[in-house]
Amino acid sequence: MYNQVANSIGAVVVLLMAIGAVFVFSASADIGQELDLQKFYDYPGLRQILFFPLACLILFTAAAFDYRRLRVRRGWMKSPTLYLLILSIALLILVLIPGFGTRINYARRWFRFAVGPFKVSFQPSELAKWASVFFLAAFCEKYGPGIRSFWKRFVPACCIVGVVVGLIIIEDLGTAAFVAVLAFLMLIIAGAKWWHVLAPLPFGVLAFVGVLVRSPARMRRIAAFLDPEKWSDSVAYQADQSLIAIGSGGLLGKGLGGGICKYGHLPEDTTDFIFAIIGEELGFLGNAAVIGLFIIFLWLGILVVVRCKDRFGQLLAGGIVLAIGIQAALNIGVVTVVLPTKGIPLPFVSAGGTSMLLSSAAVGVLLNIARQSARNPTELESQDE
Amino acid sequence: MLLLIAAFLALAGRCFYLQHFKSDHYLARSIKQQRSRSPRKPRRGTILDCRGRVLAASNRIQIIKAEPRIIKDLEGVSTALAPIVEMDPQLIYTLITESKNPGFAKIKPEADANQCSAARRIHGVGIESDWLRYYPMGSLTANVVGFTSSDGRGLEGLELRYDKQLRGSAAQNIFFADVYRRPIRLKQKDGVLSDGVGIILTLDATIQQFARDELIKQYESYEAESAVAIVADPKTGAILGMVCLPDFDPLEAGSTDPNNFRSRAITDWFEPGSVIKPIVMAIGLDAGAVRKDETIFCENGSYRGKGFGRIGEYRGGFGNLTLRLILIKSSNIGMAKIGQKLGKEKLHDGLRLFGFGKKAGIELPGEVDGLLWPAHKWTGYSVTRVPFGQEICVTAMQLVRAFCILANGGRLIRPHIVKAIVQSDGKITKLKQPPPPVGYVVKPEVAKWVISDAMVGVVNEGTGKRAKLERWQVFGKTGTANIAKEDERGYSQSDYIASFVAGAPADDPAIVVLVSIRKPNKKLGKGYTGGVVASPVAAKILEKTLSYLEKLKG
Repeated sequence: MYNQVANSIGAVVVLLMAIGAVFVFSASADIGQELDLQKFYDYPGLRQILFFPLACLILFTAAAFDYRRLRVRRGWMKSPTLYLLILSIALLILVLIPGFGTRINYARRWFRFAVGPFKVSFQPSELAKWASVFFLAAFCEKYGPGIRSFWKRFVPACCIVGVVVGLIIIEDLGTAAFVAVLAFLMLIIAGAKWWHVLAPLPFGVLAFVGVLVRSPARMRRIAAFLDPEKWSDSVAYQADQSLIAIGSGGLLGKGLGGGICKYGHLPEDTTDFIFAIIGEELGFLGNAAVIGLFIIFLWLGILVVVRCKDRFGQLLAGGIVLAIGIQAALNIGVVTVVLPTKGIPLPFVSAGGTSMLLSSAAVGVLLNIARQSARNPTELESQDE
Repeated sequence: MLLLIAAFLALAGRCFYLQHFKSDHYLARSIKQQRSRSPRKPRRGTILDCRGRVLAASNRIQIIKAEPRIIKDLEGVSTALAPIVEMDPQLIYTLITESKNPGFAKIKPEADANQCSAARRIHGVGIESDWLRYYPMGSLTANVVGFTSSDGRGLEGLELRYDKQLRGSAAQNIFFADVYRRPIRLKQKDGVLSDGVGIILTLDATIQQFARDELIKQYESYEAESAVAIVADPKTGAILGMVCLPDFDPLEAGSTDPNNFRSRAITDWFEPGSVIKPIVMAIGLDAGAVRKDETIFCENGSYRGKGFGRIGEYRGGFGNLTLRLILIKSSNIGMAKIGQKLGKEKLHDGLRLFGFGKKAGIELPGEVDGLLWPAHKWTGYSVTRVPFGQEICVTAMQLVRAFCILANGGRLIRPHIVKAIVQSDGKITKLKQPPPPVGYVVKPEVAKWVISDAMVGVVNEGTGKRAKLERWQVFGKTGTANIAKEDERGYSQSDYIASFVAGAPADDPAIVVLVSIRKPNKKLGKGYTGGVVASPVAAKILEKTLSYLEKLKG
């Protein structure tokens, strides 16, 4: 059951989550705060420490679960991926209804409900992201080379993804664009002709620009991205603060816990901008280590894809690795102000239970793929029958 | 996916660029926005009288302040704060909204510990400690001590003159601050905090009280324009009391006529009139121009001559008078003749030696020189007028110095009001006393004769009879000076300065007192002369002060 690639991936992810827990705790520091342990769930730093072991548990539980049950070879109705997709679409619709969804920072992206004494929040777009990956992997595997047929296969896949993206785009442009890009990449990997992708591209661009133009705040964000210091008092404040945090860290940083930007100067320091806090406190060394871990993760991911003899496994592993890798790259790009500000968390590191637990589950599936592929394929087949 | 790895490597490069090459730039920017300073204010020095009574001191107070820029729920904060500081929420609301400083709105200046700890819990409300200057003696010593502005700068009196020393040196702590500028942790300490030095005065609050009580009575009953009383120790030149009216309450300095701030005893000059006669007589005797037993023909009320016009007396004509009687009867003609015998050079130099025409050098701001024309500018008028106190302008402090010299057997003294300095570590440094009495302005026997013979006679037999005391032999001299008209030549016939200079006991003077009351209302019909208006005040001050000093000695 045990194989080196799988163990290495597990180690890398656990390490990233550990770094995350430490830095979310550090970044959530506030002056004059009295810790009331009865309400520990209200503190992001403590919440992350709770999520860390939970995520590990989910990671290894998912790893024990045979990923091939996610296939749709035996019919759509028997596949959990379809139900997952339907569930996430339903939740995406539900979250838009004011009574159910909760607004945070002017965006209705969350469900909030009480579990016992804890106020739990849940972000359905995170679920939808993974559901799309799983669904597309299953879809492409079922129809195999048929995906090359534009009208019969490619367009329906695009339509389904389009529904998901369309629902997300209402409240969260960044995640929507990310899901769309991810979907196209998976389709291309699955063998879709690359010029097929050009067909829905105008729709995507149209939707993107439409949303952009409709919201002046987003337009300003783009303008601010081009010159952060000029707009540093208003829209580019966050980007500018992020640069200050990273830049002032220097090569070795101010020391763990020694950062100042987290005291209100840098907004969203525990979530989207955690990478800046790492840069401030541990300097280039810390940032390079995190980037290094993601590169190792990507490399190991490529190994899993290459070694996997099963087409569904390949597609699924590719999707998962791509999803995490792209997300990490986007996040770091935003934090280092190479990209305009978008609300995309750094996988495993940023505070946020939904993202962390679901990502862990996805990586758990990846681990399972790695382990399965190491076994004798014939043995696999017989077990399957 | 290899593309993605390349992207990560590029991002790592970006980080390296930001953190290595641009690090200094961002570090500078981070320091700019993340640094907050908190001033550490030194305690302003205490001002004490010669017996250690507090005249001015600074107490630590806690200020409850609001930070307008971080308060979002203005009404909530106002209503939450109102019951704690026992203020109207509407008032707090206006205080916060109308503050010019976005980081500071003073809500309550003197808060107690309970109020502070309760207020601290409200978001946007903070505590700051400060010093509050207070003056326990109120207006009693206001003209001497002065006062400070609300931010602790000395504006008048000793507070102004010794501002630098009293203030001490401030320091500041530089903090890392959060976005609301609340300190996170100390970055560095800047400067050395040292409290201001304390000042011990020669002034005695009790004597000051005697002088003020007596002076204010007369000042009010004669509806005078202003009044000055100075009590000095002739042996050292120490000022024991110095009252100038009208005065002010330092707590209400803001709403007071600024004219009342000044110490008139050193800032206002006037033609002294007859009080200067004993000094001129001493100069004449010392120079040998006249002899003690000489008799001078004082005409019959009118003395006229080429080059000096006509000189009259206040009252009647005196005929032949001895020097002693010239003082007792205060004959202007007699004094004019002494002046003529002396000549302008000797008279001018003598008055210079007694300190006229230059600052007495007391440690208070705003002192003036007075006016003593140089000898070459003197005319025939001058040499006959100066001896009875015209064509010369003096301050009350200069008169006190001259009579202290006389009472001190002709030895020089320098009037002073600061006795010692208390360093912030508690060490007391006595100030260097005025130059040792090496110089004799006049011979001791001349000084002795003027004091204990002529000036005693003034009190016992002459114009200063009202200053007689039972237990002590008082010496003194009256003066009723016309005030020169402002708009034309000559003197006003309704405006006078009534003065009396006195001292006791005559055989070994312990105290010299000068009382000078400007423009007593002549229309009241109660009199206006130095003998009537000023001498009773001087006598009461002398009596009370002498018995007080006697008790102190046990």
